[in-house]
Amino acid sequence: MRALLSVEGLRRDYQGRCVLRIDGFHLEEGKVTALVGPNGAGKSTFLRLLSLLEAPSEGEIVFWDGSRLSSLGRRERRRISQQIAMIFQDPLLFRRSVAENLAYGLRVRRMSRTERRARVEEMLRRLGLEGLAARDARTLSGGEAQKVALGRAMILRPRLLLLDEPLSNLDLPSRRELLGLISSLVREEEVTALFVSHDYHEVLEIADRLAVLIDGELLQEGEPGEVFARPASEKVAAFLGSENLLEGVVERRTEEVAFIRVGESGLTAVCDFPVGSRVKVLVHPEEVVLVPRGEEAGSARNRLPARVLEVRDAGNLVRVRLDCGFPLVAYVTRASREDMGISPGSRFTVAVKATALHVMPFTRRAAGMGLSEGGVE
Amino acid sequence: MGEIWRGFVEACRLIARFDPYVVKITLFTLYVCSLATVAGMVTGIPLGTWLALHRFRGRRFLVTLVNAGMGLPPVVVGLFVYLLLKRRGPLGFLNWLYTPKAIVLAEVVLAMPLIAGITMAALQNADPRLRLQARSLGAGELGSALTLLRENRLSLLAAVIAGFGGVISEVGAAMMVGGNLLLNGEPYTRTLTTATVLEVSQGDSVRAIALGVILLGITLVLVWVMTLIQQGGWLARQVRGVLAPLSGRRGEAAR
Repeated sequence: MRALLSVEGLRRDYQGRCVLRIDGFHLEEGKVTALVGPNGAGKSTFLRLLSLLEAPSEGEIVFWDGSRLSSLGRRERRRISQQIAMIFQDPLLFRRSVAENLAYGLRVRRMSRTERRARVEEMLRRLGLEGLAARDARTLSGGEAQKVALGRAMILRPRLLLLDEPLSNLDLPSRRELLGLISSLVREEEVTALFVSHDYHEVLEIADRLAVLIDGELLQEGEPGEVFARPASEKVAAFLGSENLLEGVVERRTEEVAFIRVGESGLTAVCDFPVGSRVKVLVHPEEVVLVPRGEEAGSARNRLPARVLEVRDAGNLVRVRLDCGFPLVAYVTRASREDMGISPGSRFTVAVKATALHVMPFTRRAAGMGLSEGGVE
Repeated sequence: MGEIWRGFVEACRLIARFDPYVVKITLFTLYVCSLATVAGMVTGIPLGTWLALHRFRGRRFLVTLVNAGMGLPPVVVGLFVYLLLKRRGPLGFLNWLYTPKAIVLAEVVLAMPLIAGITMAALQNADPRLRLQARSLGAGELGSALTLLRENRLSLLAAVIAGFGGVISEVGAAMMVGGNLLLNGEPYTRTLTTATVLEVSQGDSVRAIALGVILLGITLVLVWVMTLIQQGGWLARQVRGVLAPLSGRRGEAAR
């Protein structure tokens, strides 16, 4: 892995209040990194610092050529910032034609008119907006306008593309279309991208890496699958919408596994916490298997009697709320519901593998979800 | 009522036969006001932009000055410029008093705060993210400020209209520092407004009305032309067509 850009001890204060504190972060070259977090977590602040639009209160950014933010002269700063392009939540198009909007950054870079025209024409074609070159950019629909904003950034062939929630004001079809376009342009041009969003669903499709920023702190960074399977903390788990986040105490343990008392029952899990530790246990709903009573429940270490409390449609799947000494949620297919006769009051055995459980340290305040108010975004 | 009508008819006659006296005064008025407006733009737009986009110690004081300047009574400006330019004043050595230059100077003092104030208000109201967007696309401090100005060109034109309207309609300052003079029987520092005042004081209401009608006509036509440019349409397209090659944008604009 090669880092396009690294951050060391970065900190940004506003009016004496620290809104961002990132000890270390590497942006992998040629990859799309999704930076997710609730509103007010400091995501946009982070982007503004990386794009050199704002200066940090403390800390260092090391760029691809080894130059460091703290020792950049005016001219080098300009050279670096001209290789970074950013698009915002709103398209922020200029009051001129679509073609002129696309050409804006090229003109700033004093590119010749012939080359400018060629690049604009190529970009219009790639965006599928060939007929709209002369249109006043402010008369475009939301989706078209955001496409132009994307094209205006990508036409510069930047090393780094920063995307600040570019999809959040669009309807679902436009969102899908733009996401596809972002994905293809970024991959074809081999651009490193940092995609900020408060909604992780929308970026998972194109993200190679996932970083979670909550309360101004970078809590976890890794492969999206890994982050989902093993959130570093309860805050991360709660933000990622993890269901079945259970509170428990390690009651006894062997070398490999621990028995964790949860409610009136308990779970066996693979973890290192000593006896007596208060912990949070994450049971991924897709790992919960329902087995008719009396039938063999496979090799799963956790086999608990359960009663169905509620059954609800959830898109293509069915969400089943269970009581097995503690509340638990499972998802099953519609066919399974019919076959197994899953309905409120029916009884089953719940099977979960010890290795499928993820155990985290207990923290008193659940999940920085209440920080959106008054935060600086 | 009859007097007003006679004044109107006289105005039409003066215009129709290109009365040399009226033509001279009219051209002189246009010359002085255009020069003052251009000078007001050259100083006022950068000042307004700077005040809108930068935070620094003493900014509030300057903003107050500009805002106060927008409501300056022309007579006070005239008095101030007179005191500067009079023989023993700080700028007396220039020998500008009672010359067209003195009128231009006074009118710049009137137009500049109007243009600066409206520019400042427009840019402060503009979306600050636009400038951020321009900078994120590689524009520097100056380039992004120019982009923001271009985005707000309608307001800038309003500022120019206000500045021009302010100077073409005022009489106090022009009278005080220009003196409303004839030189060898020809108008020298006589503008349409000062000439109108003179005609009234001499009891020639008809001629005064005629001059007033011409002044009103000029103001209306010029403001109408600027409004057409501002609000788009055929004239705006023609103006853009003329300006496009100058700014090298035809490549993108024409298609």
